[in-house]
Amino acid sequence: MAKKAVTFEMRNQKRLIPSYILIIGWVVFTFVLISWVLFASLSTSQEIFSDHMFKFESGFHFDNYARAWRTQKVSVYFMNSVLYTAVSCTVIILIASPAAYVLSRFRFKGNLLIQNMIASALGIPAIMIVMPLFGLISRLRLTNNRWLLIFLYVSMNVPFATFFLLSFFKNLSSTYEEAAAIDGCSPMGTFWRIMLPLIQPGIITVTVFNFITIWNEYFMSMIFANKTTVRPVSVGLFNMIQAMRYTGDWGGMFASVVIVFAPTFVLYIFLSERIIQGVTAGAIKG
Amino acid sequence: MSFFKVESVSDSISTWRFNGFENYRTLFSTAIFRQAMRNILNIWLVGGFGVMAVALFFAVSLTNGMRLVRFFRSVIYLPNVVSAIAMGTMWINYVYNSSYGLLHNIFSTLGLKTLSETLWTGPGNLFWSMLVAYSFGMVGYHMLIFMASIEQIPRDYVEAAFIEGANVFQRFFKITLPFLRGCFRTNIVMWTVFTVGFFVWGQLFSPVNLSNATVAPMNYMYEIVFGSSASTATVRNSGAGAGIGVIMMIIVIIAFMLTNLIVRNDDVEL
Repeated sequence: MAKKAVTFEMRNQKRLIPSYILIIGWVVFTFVLISWVLFASLSTSQEIFSDHMFKFESGFHFDNYARAWRTQKVSVYFMNSVLYTAVSCTVIILIASPAAYVLSRFRFKGNLLIQNMIASALGIPAIMIVMPLFGLISRLRLTNNRWLLIFLYVSMNVPFATFFLLSFFKNLSSTYEEAAAIDGCSPMGTFWRIMLPLIQPGIITVTVFNFITIWNEYFMSMIFANKTTVRPVSVGLFNMIQAMRYTGDWGGMFASVVIVFAPTFVLYIFLSERIIQGVTAGAIKG
Repeated sequence: MSFFKVESVSDSISTWRFNGFENYRTLFSTAIFRQAMRNILNIWLVGGFGVMAVALFFAVSLTNGMRLVRFFRSVIYLPNVVSAIAMGTMWINYVYNSSYGLLHNIFSTLGLKTLSETLWTGPGNLFWSMLVAYSFGMVGYHMLIFMASIEQIPRDYVEAAFIEGANVFQRFFKITLPFLRGCFRTNIVMWTVFTVGFFVWGQLFSPVNLSNATVAPMNYMYEIVFGSSASTATVRNSGAGAGIGVIMMIIVIIAFMLTNLIVRNDDVEL
Protein backbone atom coordinates (compact mmCIF):
# COMPACT_ATOMS: atom_id res chain seq x y z
CA MET A 1 0.00 0.00 0.00
CA ALA A 2 2.71 2.38 0.99
CA LYS A 3 4.71 1.49 -2.06
CA LYS A 4 1.74 2.13 -4.29
CA ALA A 5 1.26 5.57 -2.77
CA VAL A 6 4.88 6.38 -3.45
CA THR A 7 4.70 5.34 -7.09
CA PHE A 8 1.51 7.31 -7.54
CA GLU A 9 3.21 10.33 -6.09
CA MET A 10 6.18 9.76 -8.40
CA ARG A 11 3.98 9.50 -11.44
CA ASN A 12 2.12 12.61 -10.49
CA GLN A 13 5.35 14.52 -10.03
CA LYS A 14 6.63 13.27 -13.36
CA ARG A 15 3.55 14.48 -15.15
CA LEU A 16 4.05 17.87 -13.61
CA ILE A 17 7.52 18.33 -15.08
CA PRO A 18 6.42 20.76 -17.82
CA SER A 19 4.63 22.83 -15.20
CA TYR A 20 7.71 22.78 -13.03
CA ILE A 21 9.88 23.97 -15.88
CA LEU A 22 7.59 26.85 -16.75
CA ILE A 23 6.99 27.96 -13.20
CA ILE A 24 10.62 27.69 -12.21
CA GLY A 25 11.54 29.65 -15.32
CA TRP A 26 9.10 32.36 -14.34
CA VAL A 27 10.40 32.44 -10.77
CA VAL A 28 14.01 32.56 -11.92
CA PHE A 29 13.18 35.44 -14.20
CA THR A 30 11.65 37.37 -11.32
CA PHE A 31 14.73 36.74 -9.24
CA VAL A 32 17.08 37.76 -12.03
CA LEU A 33 15.16 40.97 -12.45
CA ILE A 34 15.36 41.92 -8.81
CA SER A 35 18.88 40.76 -8.13
CA TRP A 36 20.12 42.55 -11.22
CA VAL A 37 18.77 45.81 -9.91
CA LEU A 38 20.42 45.09 -6.58
CA PHE A 39 23.77 44.46 -8.26
CA ALA A 40 23.40 47.44 -10.54
CA SER A 41 22.72 49.69 -7.61
CA LEU A 42 26.14 48.71 -6.23
CA SER A 43 28.05 49.32 -9.44
CA THR A 44 29.23 52.41 -11.21
CA SER A 45 27.54 53.63 -14.36
CA GLN A 46 30.43 52.48 -16.54
CA GLU A 47 30.32 49.01 -15.06
CA ILE A 48 26.62 48.70 -15.80
CA PHE A 49 27.24 49.41 -19.45
CA SER A 50 30.17 47.07 -19.77
CA ASP A 51 30.03 43.36 -19.13
CA HIS A 52 32.09 43.50 -15.95
CA MET A 53 29.15 44.23 -13.82
CA PHE A 54 29.02 41.22 -11.58
CA LYS A 55 32.72 41.19 -10.83
CA PHE A 56 32.69 44.33 -8.72
CA GLU A 57 36.22 45.20 -9.78
CA SER A 58 36.05 48.57 -8.12
CA GLY A 59 34.33 47.18 -5.04
CA PHE A 60 30.83 47.67 -3.85
CA HIS A 61 29.59 51.16 -4.41
CA PHE A 62 27.45 51.95 -1.43
CA ASP A 63 28.02 55.59 -2.22
CA ASN A 64 25.28 55.23 -4.84
CA TYR A 65 22.85 54.90 -1.99
CA ALA A 66 24.35 57.75 -0.07
CA ARG A 67 24.19 59.95 -3.16
CA ALA A 68 20.62 59.01 -3.99
CA TRP A 69 19.60 59.52 -0.40
CA ARG A 70 21.11 62.96 -0.08
CA THR A 71 21.17 64.70 -3.42
CA GLN A 72 18.12 63.27 -5.12
CA LYS A 73 15.74 64.02 -2.26
CA VAL A 74 14.93 60.37 -1.73
CA SER A 75 15.12 61.09 1.97
CA VAL A 76 12.34 63.67 1.66
CA TYR A 77 10.09 61.37 -0.35
CA PHE A 78 10.86 58.45 1.90
CA MET A 79 10.04 60.31 5.08
CA ASN A 80 6.85 61.66 3.51
CA SER A 81 5.77 58.16 2.60
CA VAL A 82 6.62 56.84 6.04
CA LEU A 83 4.51 59.58 7.59
CA TYR A 84 1.59 59.06 5.20
CA THR A 85 1.48 55.30 5.52
CA ALA A 86 1.92 55.24 9.29
CA VAL A 87 -0.77 57.81 10.00
CA SER A 88 -3.22 56.48 7.40
CA CYS A 89 -2.88 52.85 8.48
CA THR A 90 -3.59 53.81 12.08
CA VAL A 91 -6.55 55.99 11.20
CA ILE A 92 -7.98 53.33 8.89
CA ILE A 93 -8.00 50.79 11.70
CA LEU A 94 -9.49 53.31 14.11
CA ILE A 95 -12.36 53.97 11.69
CA ALA A 96 -12.83 50.58 10.11
CA SER A 97 -12.77 48.29 13.10
CA PRO A 98 -15.56 49.99 15.10
CA ALA A 99 -17.55 50.34 11.87
CA ALA A 100 -17.17 46.67 11.05
CA TYR A 101 -18.05 45.74 14.61
CA VAL A 102 -21.24 47.75 14.64
CA LEU A 103 -22.27 46.53 11.20
CA SER A 104 -21.73 42.93 12.18
CA ARG A 105 -23.42 43.04 15.59
CA PHE A 106 -26.29 45.50 15.71
CA ARG A 107 -29.50 45.51 13.73
CA PHE A 108 -30.60 48.95 12.66
CA LYS A 109 -32.24 50.60 9.68
CA GLY A 110 -29.92 50.84 6.72
CA ASN A 111 -27.36 48.38 8.05
CA LEU A 112 -27.58 46.24 4.95
CA LEU A 113 -27.63 49.31 2.74
CA ILE A 114 -24.37 50.54 4.27
CA GLN A 115 -22.80 47.12 3.82
CA ASN A 116 -23.80 47.07 0.17
CA MET A 117 -22.49 50.56 -0.37
CA ILE A 118 -19.16 49.60 1.13
CA ALA A 119 -19.01 46.57 -1.12
CA SER A 120 -19.75 48.59 -4.23
CA ALA A 121 -17.20 51.22 -3.24
CA LEU A 122 -14.59 48.49 -3.66
CA GLY A 123 -15.38 48.30 -7.36
CA ILE A 124 -14.96 51.96 -8.25
CA PRO A 125 -11.52 52.86 -9.56
CA ALA A 126 -10.02 55.99 -8.05
CA ILE A 127 -9.73 57.52 -11.49
CA MET A 128 -13.49 57.90 -11.82
CA ILE A 129 -13.81 60.23 -8.88
CA VAL A 130 -10.65 62.20 -9.33
CA MET A 131 -12.08 65.01 -11.43
CA PRO A 132 -14.89 66.25 -9.20
CA LEU A 133 -12.58 65.71 -6.27
CA PHE A 134 -9.88 67.83 -7.81
CA GLY A 135 -12.34 70.58 -8.66
CA LEU A 136 -13.52 70.68 -5.08
CA ILE A 137 -10.10 70.50 -3.53
CA SER A 138 -8.45 73.08 -5.71
CA ARG A 139 -11.26 75.49 -4.96
CA LEU A 140 -10.73 74.85 -1.27
CA ARG A 141 -7.01 75.45 -1.92
CA LEU A 142 -6.04 72.22 -0.28
CA THR A 143 -3.70 70.77 -2.90
CA ASN A 144 -0.19 69.99 -1.73
CA ASN A 145 -1.47 69.52 1.77
CA ARG A 146 -0.12 66.58 3.72
CA TRP A 147 -3.30 66.10 5.70
CA LEU A 148 -5.40 66.10 2.57
CA LEU A 149 -3.28 63.29 1.13
CA ILE A 150 -3.64 61.29 4.31
CA PHE A 151 -7.37 61.94 4.27
CA LEU A 152 -7.55 60.66 0.70
CA TYR A 153 -5.55 57.53 1.47
CA VAL A 154 -7.72 56.82 4.47
CA SER A 155 -10.98 57.24 2.64
CA MET A 156 -9.79 55.15 -0.29
CA ASN A 157 -8.86 52.22 1.91
CA VAL A 158 -11.50 52.27 4.63
CA PRO A 159 -14.07 50.34 2.53
CA PHE A 160 -11.74 47.42 1.99
CA ALA A 161 -10.64 47.36 5.62
CA THR A 162 -14.22 47.48 6.89
CA PHE A 163 -15.27 44.81 4.49
CA PHE A 164 -12.41 42.56 5.45
CA LEU A 165 -12.86 42.98 9.21
CA LEU A 166 -16.61 42.49 8.94
CA SER A 167 -16.19 38.82 8.19
CA PHE A 168 -13.84 38.46 11.16
CA PHE A 169 -16.36 39.93 13.56
CA LYS A 170 -19.14 37.81 12.13
CA ASN A 171 -17.20 34.69 13.02
CA LEU A 172 -16.81 35.68 16.67
CA SER A 173 -19.29 34.22 19.09
CA SER A 174 -21.50 36.71 20.89
CA THR A 175 -21.03 34.87 24.17
CA TYR A 176 -17.94 36.99 24.77
CA GLU A 177 -20.04 40.11 24.89
CA GLU A 178 -22.69 38.48 27.04
CA ALA A 179 -20.08 37.42 29.54
CA ALA A 180 -18.58 40.90 29.54
CA ALA A 181 -21.98 42.50 30.02
CA ILE A 182 -22.76 40.24 32.96
CA ASP A 183 -19.47 41.18 34.56
CA GLY A 184 -20.41 44.83 34.21
CA CYS A 185 -18.32 45.92 31.24
CA SER A 186 -19.67 48.82 29.17
CA PRO A 187 -20.27 48.26 25.43
CA MET A 188 -17.32 50.45 24.54
CA GLY A 189 -15.12 48.69 27.05
CA THR A 190 -16.18 45.36 25.61
CA PHE A 191 -15.17 46.47 22.17
CA TRP A 192 -11.76 47.87 23.10
CA ARG A 193 -10.77 45.29 25.68
CA ILE A 194 -12.27 42.09 24.33
CA MET A 195 -13.34 42.23 20.71
CA LEU A 196 -10.42 44.16 19.28
CA PRO A 197 -7.73 41.86 20.72
CA LEU A 198 -9.69 38.88 19.40
CA ILE A 199 -9.51 40.02 15.81
CA GLN A 200 -5.87 40.98 16.00
CA PRO A 201 -4.84 38.64 13.15
CA GLY A 202 -7.36 40.34 10.89
CA ILE A 203 -6.11 43.76 11.85
CA ILE A 204 -2.53 42.80 11.10
CA THR A 205 -3.44 41.44 7.68
CA VAL A 206 -5.43 44.51 6.78
CA THR A 207 -2.72 46.86 7.94
CA VAL A 208 -0.01 45.10 5.97
CA PHE A 209 -2.25 45.22 2.95
CA ASN A 210 -3.02 48.90 3.40
CA PHE A 211 0.62 49.64 3.94
CA ILE A 212 1.53 48.20 0.56
CA THR A 213 -1.36 49.87 -1.23
CA ILE A 214 -0.59 53.29 0.20
CA TRP A 215 3.13 52.98 -0.26
CA ASN A 216 2.69 52.21 -3.94
CA GLU A 217 -0.19 54.59 -4.59
CA TYR A 218 0.59 56.69 -7.60
CA PHE A 219 -2.31 58.34 -9.36
CA MET A 220 -3.84 60.31 -6.49
CA SER A 221 -0.48 61.41 -5.17
CA MET A 222 0.60 62.58 -8.58
CA ILE A 223 -2.43 64.81 -8.97
CA PHE A 224 -2.70 66.14 -5.47
CA ALA A 225 0.96 66.48 -4.57
CA ASN A 226 3.04 68.29 -7.13
CA LYS A 227 5.51 69.91 -4.80
CA THR A 228 8.74 68.15 -3.87
CA THR A 229 8.28 68.64 -0.16
CA VAL A 230 5.04 66.70 0.07
CA ARG A 231 5.60 64.01 -2.55
CA PRO A 232 5.51 60.35 -1.55
CA VAL A 233 8.05 57.88 -2.95
CA SER A 234 6.12 56.54 -5.92
CA VAL A 235 5.73 59.93 -7.57
CA GLY A 236 9.16 61.00 -6.42
CA LEU A 237 10.74 57.93 -7.93
CA PHE A 238 9.15 58.60 -11.27
CA ASN A 239 10.57 62.11 -11.36
CA MET A 240 13.93 60.93 -10.15
CA ILE A 241 14.18 58.31 -12.83
CA GLN A 242 13.45 60.86 -15.50
CA ALA A 243 16.07 63.21 -14.07
CA MET A 244 18.77 60.58 -13.67
CA ARG A 245 18.32 59.26 -17.16
CA TYR A 246 19.51 62.58 -18.44
CA THR A 247 22.29 63.04 -15.95
CA GLY A 248 23.49 59.51 -16.67
CA ASP A 249 23.68 58.50 -13.04
CA TRP A 250 22.52 54.93 -13.55
CA GLY A 251 23.99 53.56 -10.35
CA GLY A 252 22.20 56.22 -8.35
CA MET A 253 18.98 55.60 -10.24
CA PHE A 254 18.96 51.90 -9.48
CA ALA A 255 19.93 52.65 -5.89
CA SER A 256 16.86 54.82 -5.51
CA VAL A 257 14.71 52.12 -7.09
CA VAL A 258 16.01 49.72 -4.47
CA ILE A 259 15.41 52.17 -1.64
CA VAL A 260 11.82 52.62 -2.77
CA PHE A 261 10.86 49.00 -3.13
CA ALA A 262 12.85 47.69 -0.18
CA PRO A 263 10.21 48.32 2.54
CA THR A 264 7.37 46.54 0.77
CA PHE A 265 9.74 43.82 -0.40
CA VAL A 266 11.05 43.06 3.09
CA LEU A 267 7.55 43.14 4.49
CA TYR A 268 6.43 40.74 1.80
CA ILE A 269 9.20 38.26 2.53
CA PHE A 270 8.02 37.94 6.11
CA LEU A 271 4.29 38.27 5.65
CA SER A 272 3.51 36.96 2.17
CA GLU A 273 0.97 34.45 3.48
CA ARG A 274 -1.02 37.16 5.18
CA ILE A 275 -0.97 39.39 2.13
CA ILE A 276 -2.14 36.60 -0.11
CA GLN A 277 -4.91 35.87 2.35
CA GLY A 278 -6.00 39.50 2.08
CA VAL A 279 -6.07 39.42 -1.71
CA THR A 280 -8.14 36.29 -1.97
CA ALA A 281 -10.59 37.34 0.73
CA GLY A 282 -11.21 40.67 -0.96
CA ALA A 283 -11.52 39.20 -4.42
CA ILE A 284 -13.78 36.24 -3.77
CA LYS A 285 -16.33 38.12 -1.73
CA GLY A 286 -16.10 41.30 -3.76
CA MET B 1 -19.84 67.86 -16.38
CA SER B 2 -19.27 65.81 -19.50
CA PHE B 3 -22.10 67.68 -21.23
CA PHE B 4 -20.65 71.12 -20.57
CA LYS B 5 -17.85 73.15 -22.03
CA VAL B 6 -15.40 73.57 -19.20
CA GLU B 7 -11.84 74.64 -19.57
CA SER B 8 -10.29 73.98 -16.20
CA VAL B 9 -11.56 71.62 -13.53
CA SER B 10 -11.41 74.28 -10.88
CA ASP B 11 -13.67 76.69 -12.75
CA SER B 12 -16.85 77.41 -10.83
CA ILE B 13 -20.08 75.93 -12.09
CA SER B 14 -21.46 79.31 -13.18
CA THR B 15 -18.90 79.52 -16.01
CA TRP B 16 -19.88 76.16 -17.50
CA ARG B 17 -21.69 76.31 -20.79
CA PHE B 18 -24.06 73.59 -21.88
CA ASN B 19 -22.59 71.74 -24.77
CA GLY B 20 -24.77 68.73 -25.42
CA PHE B 21 -22.90 65.84 -26.91
CA GLU B 22 -20.28 68.13 -28.41
CA ASN B 23 -17.57 66.91 -26.02
CA TYR B 24 -18.10 63.33 -27.08
CA ARG B 25 -18.04 64.30 -30.72
CA THR B 26 -14.73 66.10 -30.22
CA LEU B 27 -13.32 63.11 -28.40
CA PHE B 28 -14.20 60.61 -31.05
CA SER B 29 -12.88 62.81 -33.82
CA THR B 30 -9.54 63.19 -32.07
CA ALA B 31 -7.04 60.77 -33.52
CA ILE B 32 -5.14 60.25 -30.32
CA PHE B 33 -8.25 59.39 -28.36
CA ARG B 34 -9.30 56.80 -30.90
CA GLN B 35 -5.78 55.42 -30.75
CA ALA B 36 -6.06 55.29 -26.97
CA MET B 37 -9.30 53.34 -27.19
CA ARG B 38 -7.71 50.96 -29.67
CA ASN B 39 -4.77 50.51 -27.34
CA ILE B 40 -6.84 49.55 -24.35
CA LEU B 41 -8.93 47.27 -26.49
CA ASN B 42 -5.70 45.52 -27.45
CA ILE B 43 -4.57 45.42 -23.86
CA TRP B 44 -7.90 44.08 -22.75
CA LEU B 45 -8.21 41.42 -25.42
CA VAL B 46 -4.68 40.22 -26.10
CA GLY B 47 -3.24 40.93 -22.68
CA GLY B 48 -6.33 39.61 -20.98
CA PHE B 49 -6.26 36.40 -22.91
CA GLY B 50 -2.57 35.87 -22.25
CA VAL B 51 -2.78 36.74 -18.58
CA MET B 52 -5.81 34.55 -17.96
CA ALA B 53 -4.26 31.61 -19.79
CA VAL B 54 -0.97 31.81 -17.91
CA ALA B 55 -2.65 32.49 -14.60
CA LEU B 56 -5.06 29.60 -15.01
CA PHE B 57 -2.27 27.27 -16.09
CA PHE B 58 -0.15 28.20 -13.08
CA ALA B 59 -3.08 27.94 -10.72
CA VAL B 60 -4.06 24.50 -11.97
CA SER B 61 -0.48 23.22 -11.83
CA LEU B 62 0.14 24.61 -8.38
CA THR B 63 -3.01 23.10 -6.94
CA ASN B 64 -2.28 19.77 -8.57
CA GLY B 65 0.14 18.50 -5.97
CA MET B 66 3.28 20.41 -6.81
CA ARG B 67 5.94 20.85 -4.19
CA LEU B 68 6.92 24.23 -2.76
CA VAL B 69 3.54 25.68 -3.63
CA ARG B 70 3.77 28.47 -1.07
CA PHE B 71 7.15 29.56 -2.30
CA PHE B 72 6.17 29.61 -5.97
CA ARG B 73 2.93 31.36 -5.23
CA SER B 74 4.65 34.06 -3.22
CA VAL B 75 7.27 34.72 -5.86
CA ILE B 76 4.75 34.88 -8.69
CA TYR B 77 2.66 37.36 -6.76
CA LEU B 78 5.70 39.44 -5.86
CA PRO B 79 5.53 41.96 -8.74
CA ASN B 80 2.16 43.16 -7.44
CA VAL B 81 3.72 44.15 -4.15
CA VAL B 82 6.55 46.16 -5.62
CA SER B 83 5.66 49.62 -6.82
CA ALA B 84 4.71 49.66 -10.49
CA ILE B 85 7.22 52.43 -11.07
CA ALA B 86 10.06 50.29 -9.75
CA MET B 87 8.95 47.30 -11.83
CA GLY B 88 8.64 49.42 -14.93
CA THR B 89 12.10 50.83 -14.43
CA MET B 90 13.55 47.36 -14.21
CA TRP B 91 11.85 46.35 -17.42
CA ILE B 92 12.75 49.43 -19.40
CA ASN B 93 16.28 49.88 -18.19
CA TYR B 94 17.30 46.28 -17.87
CA VAL B 95 15.25 43.71 -19.76
CA TYR B 96 14.60 45.84 -22.81
CA ASN B 97 17.90 47.68 -22.88
CA SER B 98 19.59 47.24 -26.20
CA SER B 99 23.20 47.41 -25.07
CA TYR B 100 23.34 45.34 -21.87
CA GLY B 101 19.76 44.19 -21.35
CA LEU B 102 18.60 40.70 -20.53
CA LEU B 103 16.90 40.01 -23.85
CA HIS B 104 19.92 41.36 -25.68
CA ASN B 105 22.24 39.02 -23.79
CA ILE B 106 20.03 35.97 -24.18
CA PHE B 107 19.62 36.41 -27.90
CA SER B 108 23.26 37.18 -28.54
CA THR B 109 24.39 34.05 -26.68
CA LEU B 110 21.92 32.09 -28.77
CA GLY B 111 23.45 33.70 -31.83
CA LEU B 112 20.28 35.36 -33.03
CA LYS B 113 21.81 38.52 -34.34
CA THR B 114 18.71 40.32 -35.54
CA LEU B 115 16.74 39.61 -32.40
CA SER B 116 19.54 40.72 -30.12
CA GLU B 117 19.79 44.00 -31.91
CA THR B 118 16.09 44.75 -31.80
CA LEU B 119 15.25 47.96 -30.06
CA TRP B 120 12.56 46.63 -27.77
CA THR B 121 11.44 50.08 -26.77
CA GLY B 122 11.73 51.41 -30.30
CA PRO B 123 8.69 52.84 -32.05
CA GLY B 124 7.34 49.63 -33.52
CA ASN B 125 7.73 47.44 -30.48
CA LEU B 126 6.92 49.85 -27.71
CA PHE B 127 3.29 48.88 -27.26
CA TRP B 128 3.91 45.15 -27.17
CA SER B 129 6.90 45.52 -24.90
CA MET B 130 4.78 47.55 -22.55
CA LEU B 131 1.99 45.00 -22.69
CA VAL B 132 4.32 42.11 -21.86
CA ALA B 133 5.81 43.98 -18.93
CA TYR B 134 2.38 44.93 -17.65
CA SER B 135 0.95 41.46 -18.02
CA PHE B 136 3.91 39.92 -16.28
CA GLY B 137 2.94 41.72 -13.13
CA MET B 138 -0.77 40.99 -13.42
CA VAL B 139 -0.48 37.22 -13.68
CA GLY B 140 0.15 36.80 -9.97
CA TYR B 141 -3.03 38.51 -8.91
CA HIS B 142 -5.30 36.57 -11.20
CA MET B 143 -3.51 33.35 -10.37
CA LEU B 144 -4.28 33.87 -6.69
CA ILE B 145 -7.97 34.30 -7.42
CA PHE B 146 -8.03 31.17 -9.56
CA MET B 147 -6.13 29.22 -6.93
CA ALA B 148 -8.45 30.31 -4.17
CA SER B 149 -11.49 29.03 -5.99
CA ILE B 150 -9.83 25.86 -7.24
CA GLU B 151 -9.08 25.03 -3.63
CA GLN B 152 -12.79 25.36 -2.91
CA ILE B 153 -13.66 22.57 -5.34
CA PRO B 154 -14.53 19.46 -3.32
CA ARG B 155 -11.72 16.93 -3.58
CA ASP B 156 -14.21 14.06 -4.01
CA TYR B 157 -15.10 15.07 -7.55
CA VAL B 158 -11.51 15.12 -8.69
CA GLU B 159 -10.73 11.84 -6.96
CA ALA B 160 -13.81 10.16 -8.37
CA ALA B 161 -12.87 11.25 -11.87
CA PHE B 162 -9.33 10.07 -11.29
CA ILE B 163 -10.50 6.60 -10.25
CA GLU B 164 -12.74 6.47 -13.31
CA GLY B 165 -9.64 7.01 -15.37
CA ALA B 166 -10.12 10.56 -16.60
CA ASN B 167 -6.86 12.11 -17.76
CA VAL B 168 -5.53 15.53 -16.86
CA PHE B 169 -7.29 17.34 -19.66
CA GLN B 170 -10.63 15.64 -19.14
CA ARG B 171 -10.46 16.44 -15.45
CA PHE B 172 -9.57 20.02 -16.21
CA PHE B 173 -12.30 20.66 -18.75
CA LYS B 174 -15.07 18.62 -17.17
CA ILE B 175 -14.59 19.43 -13.51
CA THR B 176 -12.29 22.35 -12.84
CA LEU B 177 -13.55 24.71 -15.51
CA PRO B 178 -17.27 24.44 -14.75
CA PHE B 179 -16.53 25.13 -11.12
CA LEU B 180 -14.56 28.22 -12.02
CA ARG B 181 -17.34 30.08 -13.78
CA GLY B 182 -17.98 32.48 -10.94
CA CYS B 183 -14.29 33.00 -10.56
CA PHE B 184 -13.89 33.80 -14.25
CA ARG B 185 -16.50 36.47 -13.82
CA THR B 186 -14.58 38.05 -10.97
CA ASN B 187 -11.36 37.88 -12.94
CA ILE B 188 -12.81 39.38 -16.09
CA VAL B 189 -14.46 42.23 -14.23
CA MET B 190 -11.28 42.95 -12.30
CA TRP B 191 -9.25 42.80 -15.48
CA THR B 192 -11.59 45.31 -17.10
CA VAL B 193 -11.32 47.62 -14.13
CA PHE B 194 -7.53 47.38 -14.24
CA THR B 195 -7.41 47.95 -17.97
CA VAL B 196 -9.63 50.99 -17.77
CA GLY B 197 -7.39 52.37 -15.05
CA PHE B 198 -4.31 51.69 -17.13
CA PHE B 199 -2.14 54.70 -16.54
CA VAL B 200 1.21 54.28 -14.85
CA TRP B 201 2.72 51.99 -17.45
CA GLY B 202 1.71 54.23 -20.30
CA GLN B 203 3.37 57.11 -18.56
CA LEU B 204 6.48 55.10 -17.78
CA PHE B 205 7.02 53.90 -21.29
CA SER B 206 6.73 57.33 -22.83
CA PRO B 207 7.40 59.76 -20.02
CA VAL B 208 7.60 63.12 -21.68
CA ASN B 209 4.87 63.36 -24.26
CA LEU B 210 1.94 61.25 -25.23
CA SER B 211 2.86 58.79 -27.90
CA ASN B 212 0.49 56.83 -30.06
CA ALA B 213 1.95 53.54 -28.95
CA THR B 214 1.38 53.84 -25.25
CA VAL B 215 -1.46 56.28 -24.80
CA ALA B 216 -4.43 55.04 -22.81
CA PRO B 217 -7.63 57.00 -22.21
CA MET B 218 -6.50 57.82 -18.71
CA ASN B 219 -3.25 59.29 -19.96
CA TYR B 220 -5.17 61.40 -22.40
CA MET B 221 -7.60 62.50 -19.74
CA TYR B 222 -4.76 63.46 -17.45
CA GLU B 223 -3.24 65.39 -20.30
CA ILE B 224 -6.32 67.44 -21.17
CA VAL B 225 -7.49 67.96 -17.62
CA PHE B 226 -4.34 68.49 -15.65
CA GLY B 227 -2.07 69.20 -18.59
CA SER B 228 1.30 68.40 -17.05
CA SER B 229 3.53 67.86 -20.00
CA ALA B 230 5.16 70.43 -22.16
CA SER B 231 3.28 69.45 -25.28
CA THR B 232 1.31 72.35 -26.60
CA ALA B 233 -0.63 70.23 -29.04
CA THR B 234 -3.21 69.35 -26.44
CA VAL B 235 -5.66 71.94 -25.27
CA ARG B 236 -7.11 71.90 -21.84
CA ASN B 237 -10.65 70.64 -22.01
CA SER B 238 -12.05 69.37 -18.76
CA GLY B 239 -15.48 68.73 -20.20
CA ALA B 240 -14.01 66.22 -22.61
CA GLY B 241 -11.95 64.79 -19.79
CA ALA B 242 -15.12 64.16 -17.83
CA GLY B 243 -16.51 62.59 -20.98
CA ILE B 244 -13.64 60.09 -20.94
CA GLY B 245 -14.43 59.30 -17.34
CA VAL B 246 -18.06 58.64 -18.24
CA ILE B 247 -17.12 56.45 -21.21
CA MET B 248 -14.78 54.39 -19.05
CA MET B 249 -17.44 54.00 -16.40
CA ILE B 250 -19.91 52.80 -19.01
CA ILE B 251 -17.37 50.28 -20.29
CA VAL B 252 -16.94 48.84 -16.82
CA ILE B 253 -20.67 48.60 -16.29
CA ILE B 254 -21.21 46.97 -19.67
CA ALA B 255 -18.42 44.49 -19.01
CA PHE B 256 -19.94 43.70 -15.66
CA MET B 257 -23.39 43.10 -17.08
CA LEU B 258 -22.09 41.10 -20.03
CA THR B 259 -20.10 38.77 -17.85
CA ASN B 260 -23.14 38.42 -15.63
CA LEU B 261 -25.19 37.40 -18.65
CA ILE B 262 -22.68 35.05 -20.18
CA VAL B 263 -21.36 33.48 -17.03
CA ARG B 264 -24.39 32.93 -14.85
CA ASN B 265 -23.54 32.82 -11.23
CA ASP B 266 -25.82 29.88 -10.61
CA ASP B 267 -23.41 27.70 -8.71
CA VAL B 268 -23.19 27.70 -4.96
CA GLU B 269 -21.90 30.78 -3.25
CA LEU B 270 -18.27 29.97 -2.58
